[in-house]
Amino acid sequence: MKPPRRRRNNTAHRQAALLRLTTAIAAATSERDVYRSMVVGLHDEALGYNFLGVFLLDEASGDRVLQDAVGWPDVPAQWRVHPGQGLSERALQDGQLRYTPDVTRAAGYLPSLASGSEVDVPLRVDGRTIGVLVVESSEPNAFTAEDFEILTAAANQASIAIGRARLLDEERKRVDEHKALLDTMADLSSDLELPRVLQAVLNRAVTLLGVTGGEVAIFEEQPKQLVVVASQNIGKDSTGTRLGLGEGAMGHAARTREPLIIPSYHEWLGRSGQYADVTVHSVMAAPLLIGRRLVGAIATVHSDPHRIFGPEDLRLLTMFAPQAAIAIENARLYASAQRQKQYFEELVQNSPVAIVTLDKTQSVQSCNPAFERLFGYPSSEAIGRNLDDLVATDATRSEAEQYTQQAFTRPVHGIGRRRRKDGTLVDVEVLAVPVIVAGDPVGLMALYHDISELLAARREAEAANNAKSQFLASMSHELRTPLNAIIGYSEMVQEEIVELGQTDLAQDLTKIRTAGHHLLALINDILDLSKIEAGKMELHLETFEIRSLVDDVVATAGALVEKNANRLVVNLPPQPGRMHADLTKVRQMLLNLLSNASKFTARGTITLTVAREPDEALGGTAIVYRVADEGVGMTSAQMDRLFQAFSQADVSTTSKYGGTGLGLAITKRFCQMMGGDVTVLSEQGKGSTFTIRLPASVVGDAP
Amino acid sequence: MTRILLVEDNEMNRDMLSRRLQRKGYDVTMAVDGRQGVEMARAGAFDLILMDMSLPELDGWEATRQLRAAAETRTVPIIGLTAHAMAGDRDKALEAGCNDYDTKPVELPRLLGKIEALLGGPK
Repeated sequence: MKPPRRRRNNTAHRQAALLRLTTAIAAATSERDVYRSMVVGLHDEALGYNFLGVFLLDEASGDRVLQDAVGWPDVPAQWRVHPGQGLSERALQDGQLRYTPDVTRAAGYLPSLASGSEVDVPLRVDGRTIGVLVVESSEPNAFTAEDFEILTAAANQASIAIGRARLLDEERKRVDEHKALLDTMADLSSDLELPRVLQAVLNRAVTLLGVTGGEVAIFEEQPKQLVVVASQNIGKDSTGTRLGLGEGAMGHAARTREPLIIPSYHEWLGRSGQYADVTVHSVMAAPLLIGRRLVGAIATVHSDPHRIFGPEDLRLLTMFAPQAAIAIENARLYASAQRQKQYFEELVQNSPVAIVTLDKTQSVQSCNPAFERLFGYPSSEAIGRNLDDLVATDATRSEAEQYTQQAFTRPVHGIGRRRRKDGTLVDVEVLAVPVIVAGDPVGLMALYHDISELLAARREAEAANNAKSQFLASMSHELRTPLNAIIGYSEMVQEEIVELGQTDLAQDLTKIRTAGHHLLALINDILDLSKIEAGKMELHLETFEIRSLVDDVVATAGALVEKNANRLVVNLPPQPGRMHADLTKVRQMLLNLLSNASKFTARGTITLTVAREPDEALGGTAIVYRVADEGVGMTSAQMDRLFQAFSQADVSTTSKYGGTGLGLAITKRFCQMMGGDVTVLSEQGKGSTFTIRLPASVVGDAP
Repeated sequence: MTRILLVEDNEMNRDMLSRRLQRKGYDVTMAVDGRQGVEMARAGAFDLILMDMSLPELDGWEATRQLRAAAETRTVPIIGLTAHAMAGDRDKALEAGCNDYDTKPVELPRLLGKIEALLGGPK
């Protein structure tokens, strides 16, 4: 045994050195710091360890690689001790402290000192031996149990510190990755041009993973294929290649919605024929998903056969893929929004209708070429001006301003007159609607349609129609005066010859008188119709007893009914009550219906039914007059024409049955004037039923 | 004999109606416009006046109003004669003071019925 070393004599110094050692190891923040503080701390004079080194095991080669050393002469940095060499291998292998009291007698000793003793202490992290602390002395038998205790404690503390430093390192690396990914995302999101985004996504992936190249494809719903849109350094330009779901690496990732690693593409059973000529070796592909929705796929490749993708690469790609998916989706949405915007802009530009938009201050924001043409203002001149300043006339100014004001809150539709730049006027139909973006009113849009020609045509048509009605009315009056004389004189002469007994002339006079009456009825009907159409027929409303009206009508129609040996049955409720209507017109209509029924029925029954019926649409109560006959009836085609002027069911009817053919047209118009209607039910050969339905109380001047 | 004043501007109507009434036994005097009608009505004592409504100078409604305002003619029955379909004309006739109205062309039996009703039975 060698004599005790100097250090043993100074316990206080030794304690202080151990404390410094412990503190330094605890303070180390990196693996390298741990090794340094361990060897430097143990090398303290008070402890007396002169030669120290730390080796780490390189798992791939099995070599021990020197990390740090103190006291050894001429040892290269990263000195590698191969398997089978040196004494420290045993401690590595069995994880136990090994003591060699005399190195000169030990096999495999790599002489760093000429002689002496050596202690090897394993460094264990997470149950695995990762390296070894080698402590040598130039003297044999230099170490005692107390040294073993100190060195073991130091190694254990260092091991803990190494584990911690490695975790910290891992953590730092992840933070760096996250930062890189965040940068990537910010970069990608700031660009909305799809082709550039796709290229950027691919560049980032290639850089992030340190690969040879790769491709990006986007998914098209129709026909459910991936289309390669960016390709980099895979031995060919694959842009435009279409892949079915399940085809090739990206197709496979897209179909399974899972990333995959293919160690050797050309030996892979799932390879696609479209990639037979590429220079890739190992491939890693991932789907680009937003939630579960497939947006596309990405593939990265190594063309170096020695580089194969591992779990770490997969982890990075899996982190990167969602961001790439979002960037691509944003760019696609933006592109589609741009397309839509362009589409609507095209619509507005090419619209034949003048379109102008105003901001909140009623200034013109934009206008289309049709607006420029209609009003003569180039858009450059219109934009920024108050719309009503531009196009309202003095006369329509307040109306136009009112439209504008209202259109900020609700759609406005109207017809008005506006002024062009050259001062000429134009009749327009205006449709203005508020423009509300995301619930926020931002202005309004107005459409102008030039209706000058339309209005002119309408005015002309109305004038022509009025002239026609005027003409008919005055003609009717002029015709009536001589006709009155014809009828009057023929009646008078008839009375005279009857008194004189010259009955042979009476028949001819009857014919003159009948023809005269027919002509008069025709003229009266034409007069009625032309007045109705000219809007000059007025309603004279009065309240009257329905029973007296019916009595009056029945008395008047008596002769007509009996002419064809018909029978008139009247169904009147016990209390028919009163109605408020145009008595003359109601009488005229009833007489017309009874007259028709009598004409078209022979030896039959004609029924007049009156009823009061509840009818909400007619103000609560309707008075219904129903005239049913057992006459010739009508086909449905005949019924369709029935209420039009000059249309008896058949042209030949007029000559056979007489009548003007205007009665039902007038009846229809009268009913409508009073807010009611007339309808017919008929079957050929079985008679017809006409129903007049009027409000019990007609409201004045219904159109 | 019952005296009737016929105020009518149209010559043929006047001639025809007067002759037919005369043949039924009435004493018919004629006026050709509203102004003359009023003058004659106030001057002579008529049992009944037949008043056309569309008359020159003074129309039938105004003439009727004047007759109703004058003491001599206040109670003389007046029948207004109006054109067909002129419901407004008829209402106006009654408003102006006519006791009844009839439409032209005149149907003699109907008009006679109205005359007799106003005069209290056939003469």
